Amino acid sequence: MTAKLRQFFVKIGNGCRQWLAHIGDWFKALPARFAVRWHTFCDFLKNANGKVAASCLVMGLGQLLYHQWAKGLIFLAVQAAMVLFFVFVGAKGLVGLFTLGTVEGNAWYGIEGDNSVIMLLLGILSVIALVLYAVVYTANIRDVYRTQSAYDCLKTPPTFRKELSSLLDRNFYKVALALPILGVCVFCVLPIIFMILIAFTNYGGTVVPPRLIDWVGLDNFGKILTLSDFAPTFFRIFGWNILWAVMSTFINYFAGLGLALLLNRKCVKGKVFWRLFPILAYAVPGFITLIGFKFMFSYGGPINYYITQSGGSAVGFLDIDAKWSSRLIGLGVNAWLCIPSSMLLATGILSNLNTDLYEAARVDGAGNWKQFTKITLPYVLFATMPVLISQFIGNFNNFGIFYFLRGGLYLDGYFLASDTDLLINWLYNMSIDNNYYSIGAAISIVIFIVTSVISLTVYVLSPSYRQEDTYQ
Amino acid sequence: MKKIIKHPRRLLGVALTYIILLAVAFVFLFPILWLVLASFSKSGSIYSFKGFFPTDYSFDTFVRLFTDTDMYNYPRWFANTLFIAVMSSLLGTFLTILTAYCMSRFRFKSRKALMKTTLLLGMFPSFMTMTAVYLLCTQFNLINQHWGLILIYAAGAPMGYLTQKGFFDTISVSVDEAARIDGANNFQIFVKITLPLAKPMIVYTLLSSFVWPWSDFILPKLLLKNKDLYTVAVGLMSLDDTEFSRFAAGSVFIALPIVIFYFALSKFLISGLSAGAVKQ
Repeated sequence: MTAKLRQFFVKIGNGCRQWLAHIGDWFKALPARFAVRWHTFCDFLKNANGKVAASCLVMGLGQLLYHQWAKGLIFLAVQAAMVLFFVFVGAKGLVGLFTLGTVEGNAWYGIEGDNSVIMLLLGILSVIALVLYAVVYTANIRDVYRTQSAYDCLKTPPTFRKELSSLLDRNFYKVALALPILGVCVFCVLPIIFMILIAFTNYGGTVVPPRLIDWVGLDNFGKILTLSDFAPTFFRIFGWNILWAVMSTFINYFAGLGLALLLNRKCVKGKVFWRLFPILAYAVPGFITLIGFKFMFSYGGPINYYITQSGGSAVGFLDIDAKWSSRLIGLGVNAWLCIPSSMLLATGILSNLNTDLYEAARVDGAGNWKQFTKITLPYVLFATMPVLISQFIGNFNNFGIFYFLRGGLYLDGYFLASDTDLLINWLYNMSIDNNYYSIGAAISIVIFIVTSVISLTVYVLSPSYRQEDTYQ
Repeated sequence: MKKIIKHPRRLLGVALTYIILLAVAFVFLFPILWLVLASFSKSGSIYSFKGFFPTDYSFDTFVRLFTDTDMYNYPRWFANTLFIAVMSSLLGTFLTILTAYCMSRFRFKSRKALMKTTLLLGMFPSFMTMTAVYLLCTQFNLINQHWGLILIYAAGAPMGYLTQKGFFDTISVSVDEAARIDGANNFQIFVKITLPLAKPMIVYTLLSSFVWPWSDFILPKLLLKNKDLYTVAVGLMSLDDTEFSRFAAGSVFIALPIVIFYFALSKFLISGLSAGAVKQ
């Protein structure tokens, strides 16, 4: 036993060392990589001709001088659009990002002041536009330089049509990824950047537009860690949050896998029929189940009905003082909600597993348990490691369970929270119900740091990352 | 059958398997059965129930659900939810499959960086950014607009591409290589080979990206202020405690389409896919 335990820790240690070595190698390679870049850049300065310089000055000009009309006009149009954008919106946005408004609005005097929040958003948008512009600008110079090099070597550069057709082949990913990336940038990245910036302002409480908002540096983080209002609550909730995430992920994942394996056994007749029940549970929207379970454990609910019928007195399963019973109910309800989907996933993965392997294992005399630990588990873990991580994060930030089961409960010893609340519930209580926007944003950054450190470590240590091509 | 009876240990194993299956079936079925029964209850309040079972049964609640629409316009909510969920599921699946395919099959310079970035972005709790999304929506005039919700759901969908990528990773690349020798470009390979092979995964993606907007309550609650634009989730949450059976009846109706949906498509979901492909 101790030998096994020691082996386990040695393995973790090795993994960490490998990871650190990985990072170290990256940094070690940095100067060399930079030198290569610098060398190419010097070559570029030496060799570039007038047409390339023209493109550096105005995007697309060099291409036009090379008689590449279509490409040149496209670059020129982008350039024109960018200039117009910055003249009318962008410049103001960039300044506003620093000042967050200078004129305070006053309805009494009829002054329409600056709205700091809107200015912040516009500022972020302008920075994103600036980055995009830089990307297109470099692409433009690279393109014209490539054309020049082709002519220098007495070759003809690829025609515009050929370049377009490469977008369906070698560069297909550029076309395919453009739309998803744009969507993610606008609806995920932009709000996230906004929230991060909010964490460094005094936005919230009484400081909301039309009052002006200011940058306050790290004050909010200091408040969470030191202020007697926030700190004890934070650490209590944090401990429970970690425990909850680990336990619920473990239960859901292995119960789902177990169920899938059970249904995959040869002796089970009517697989479709048995699978029907978890699927039913999966199909019922979560909030209905949660409200349903709340009713089930309430004072007037069926469970207390049977308790009182048999002579007992009603139990407040989700009451203010029912710390552990509510926590256990939460775990159970979460398992009920999540096992079906993890079973479905495991079934899909298993159906893709090559059955010849088992045949071979059986010929070699491997028992069921050995087949499970040597074939099934490594394969399933490999295929689902990313999902496992996202399940962990999903559970870490599982808002619904305790919002519905025990929402709106504020206990003594906690600041605007209860002993079942996760960080995410606390965040909700603070920022949506009580307007502590900047503190809420700071908490969410803490949540982010914790989850990202944990899951990146697991991901880098996992076989899916290290041997991506093993199973192909 | 004869074979099984000859081995008592195996018989025990089979019996145990079925006992566990029965227990699992009961655990998953019972709460749903309870809600379905409650929807047929004559009185609306939970306090009139005898344990899990209503005292009297009738169809009244369902009739009221669809006719008594002055206060709670359930048919309208239902249509809204259907529209939002279908649209965002189609759009979201399209984006997700594209992303997953590219991440699995192409090796380009910024690939690892992109993968790590999405992983990092996924760690931000989604409604931590709600205030920001709300402000953005006021800027783009997406408040009280179903399209606003659809765009937000669909745009967020590619972030969950990892499951699909894991799936594409397990499809052998030898088929692709064979097609490339025959002169197909990547676009043709994607459309003609990868997509048909990935049918089970597409169905999984469609289903899972349908379920999310179908049952989400946070975003609609934040963005839909007009009662006629409500989705079922927000609408049902606005019901008070004495309307328990109306809540149960309404719930039965939202669960129904997903169940039907699943059973219509279940064979895609379960059946193995690499049957006709090259074996590893």
